[in-house]
Amino acid sequence: MKRRKLLQMLAAGSAFYGPWKVHHAWAQAPQKKPLVIGLTMDASGQFGASGTSERLGAMMAIREFNEKGGVLGRHIEALHIDTETTPATGSRVAERMITRNEVAFLIGGLSSGVANAIGQVAQKYGVVYLNSNSSSPTESGRDCKRVKFVWDGNGTNFAQAIVKNAIKVNGGNWALLTNDYIWGHNTSKATRELVVKNGGRVLDELMVPQGTRDFSSFLLKLQQMKPQVVAAAVGGDDFRAMRQQVLQTKLDRQFAWVNNQQDWEDVYGLGAEAAFGVFGTTWYYRFDLPGVKEFVEKYKKTFPGMQVKNPGNTFYNGYVATRELLRCVEEAGTTSNIAIIKKLEGRKMTARDRMQHHDAWIDPATHQVQQTIYMATYNDKPAETDDIFKILSNVAPADIVDPDAPKACKMASYQETPSYEQ
Amino acid sequence: MTALANLTPHLLNGVSLGLMFALIALGFMLIVGVMEVINLAHGSLFALGAYFAIFIVGLNLGVGIEARYALAFFLAPLGVALVGMVLEVAMRRTYGRDPLYGLLLTFGAALVIEELIRLVWGSTEKQLPLPPDLSGAMLIGGFIYSKYRLYASGAAVVLILLLYLFLEKTPYGAMIKAGAHDSEMVRALGINLTRLRLFVFALGAALAGLAGIVLAPIWGVRPHVGVDAVVPAFLIIVLGGVGSFWGAVVAGVLVGIVVAVTGAYASEWSLLSMYLLLIALVTWRARGLFGKKTVLEN
Repeated sequence: MKRRKLLQMLAAGSAFYGPWKVHHAWAQAPQKKPLVIGLTMDASGQFGASGTSERLGAMMAIREFNEKGGVLGRHIEALHIDTETTPATGSRVAERMITRNEVAFLIGGLSSGVANAIGQVAQKYGVVYLNSNSSSPTESGRDCKRVKFVWDGNGTNFAQAIVKNAIKVNGGNWALLTNDYIWGHNTSKATRELVVKNGGRVLDELMVPQGTRDFSSFLLKLQQMKPQVVAAAVGGDDFRAMRQQVLQTKLDRQFAWVNNQQDWEDVYGLGAEAAFGVFGTTWYYRFDLPGVKEFVEKYKKTFPGMQVKNPGNTFYNGYVATRELLRCVEEAGTTSNIAIIKKLEGRKMTARDRMQHHDAWIDPATHQVQQTIYMATYNDKPAETDDIFKILSNVAPADIVDPDAPKACKMASYQETPSYEQ
Repeated sequence: MTALANLTPHLLNGVSLGLMFALIALGFMLIVGVMEVINLAHGSLFALGAYFAIFIVGLNLGVGIEARYALAFFLAPLGVALVGMVLEVAMRRTYGRDPLYGLLLTFGAALVIEELIRLVWGSTEKQLPLPPDLSGAMLIGGFIYSKYRLYASGAAVVLILLLYLFLEKTPYGAMIKAGAHDSEMVRALGINLTRLRLFVFALGAALAGLAGIVLAPIWGVRPHVGVDAVVPAFLIIVLGGVGSFWGAVVAGVLVGIVVAVTGAYASEWSLLSMYLLLIALVTWRARGLFGKKTVLEN
């Protein structure tokens, strides 16, 4: 080949290839708009620690889908703004995410007050919202929404699983310690009804204002009342401070304590005794069930160096809720809200898939996930440092259905719900 | 009689709680009194004291928990005092300007310290290990009471008295009081006001750190625990009269009693009660319990 011919070929090749190399976007099909999911989780305030965990759970699910190429060919982006365990902030964050950031869905909620506020905004715009971890019975009862799906067990579910047995074992004289906000009120209300229904009586109910750090007067009052059982519906930082003071005075041994639901982050790293009393949970990292070990390993691999070495129930709920939503998007072939709502309503999820002991489903009348509830207490024979829960029993979802929720829940119809698609 | 017998444990518990509230407020009072700066970083310094103590108690020094706790009790406040000194140096450009500058700077410092705590120690709950002699419960008048609370109240009394003696019986205390009264006159008398302010800020920060160590086993330790301290501290110094040492102590005890009694008999009001007390008292006596009369009131 002559030198001139070689140069001509090189020039032609460069002319053709150059622009493709420099402006490589020209060579590709138009990029699809990313699917933005708004994560409305608390990073500060009473539920800051648990909110952080549920955010990581949602992000792990999103990462899994992105590794498979996203959904509907769209890359998934997570946008998180701290809802500060404050309903007004939750409302503002939701409004901003929908109107400015054009999120397709909203996920997150620890405080029922915050979840309710987000739910109201979501319903106004028609945005599907997964309340991943807040558990006031009102969330799937009085405050239910067509667009809102509740993923945690609620106060009534937990009370139903615990109260009857606790009366039988410990006695019928109960005192209630109630966090003075929507979750506390409704959980204690459910507990009170079940205590009375099962032949017990409530001696008194002490309201614990949110932000309480000194529980000495409550603990003295309990000693004056002399109940057989103390049912505490106290959450987050308030519960941590209370637990510290109960353990210091050894009052965990004076009464039988029923702590309704115990979030992993509220007891993590404080030793087995920190998880005193009997309490409910929805998942434990040492379940001997298919997939659990792999799930825990994945958590460790995805978030190396975390202080919380093993995932807990709030992480789990954040993960399964997000995963299920994205599966629904894939199945529906659209992000249209009504199509997704229809996919979620009545959805059945196998025990194996959810790493629980019984199959779960989403009640179409209340939008609450009906799932296995576990009774637990502190583990006196831990297999390792983090093994602080001893699972006492599990209750099938059909046995602990909240009977009042469907009566109280009045959802907007599909027609009344604004169409929304991003 | 029965009602009184029922009330007595709550009153005593209120006094114990109040002493701890007073301890939280002392450092805050000192800085406001001398420097006329509302130190919004007080809560973060409180938290820092607890974290420093956790760090020191956790060190492998080859000595028992008692010795490590004692060491933490002395060294952790010194560490917080150093942080306080850095903060004071940063504040110097705000002196003599609109008080909002100082307020904003200390607010920013509070956020920075809280985030630094998160970075170093993480967001999860921590516990300050205690010597076994301070842990556990005891029976007082038929009630189970935490041994540690009695120790904490005792520690608060000792620290309050030591501070009082320091302010009243030493030349440094006299300078601090004079600085609070008329800083320009103090400067005119040849006292190095810059150094005095640095010292006062360090002392106030150390007191915040000490309160953090004392309260850590009761409230628990988390990065934002300081928020729980700064609000009562602010309320107590207003209630007691800004700059008044005994005002802060009496107001602290008063707040403790009100919170404890409402906690027992109208629990939903227990947190709100301190604010209601403030409103009632300030309405009746705007300068607080022991605040000095202003010229306008004469």
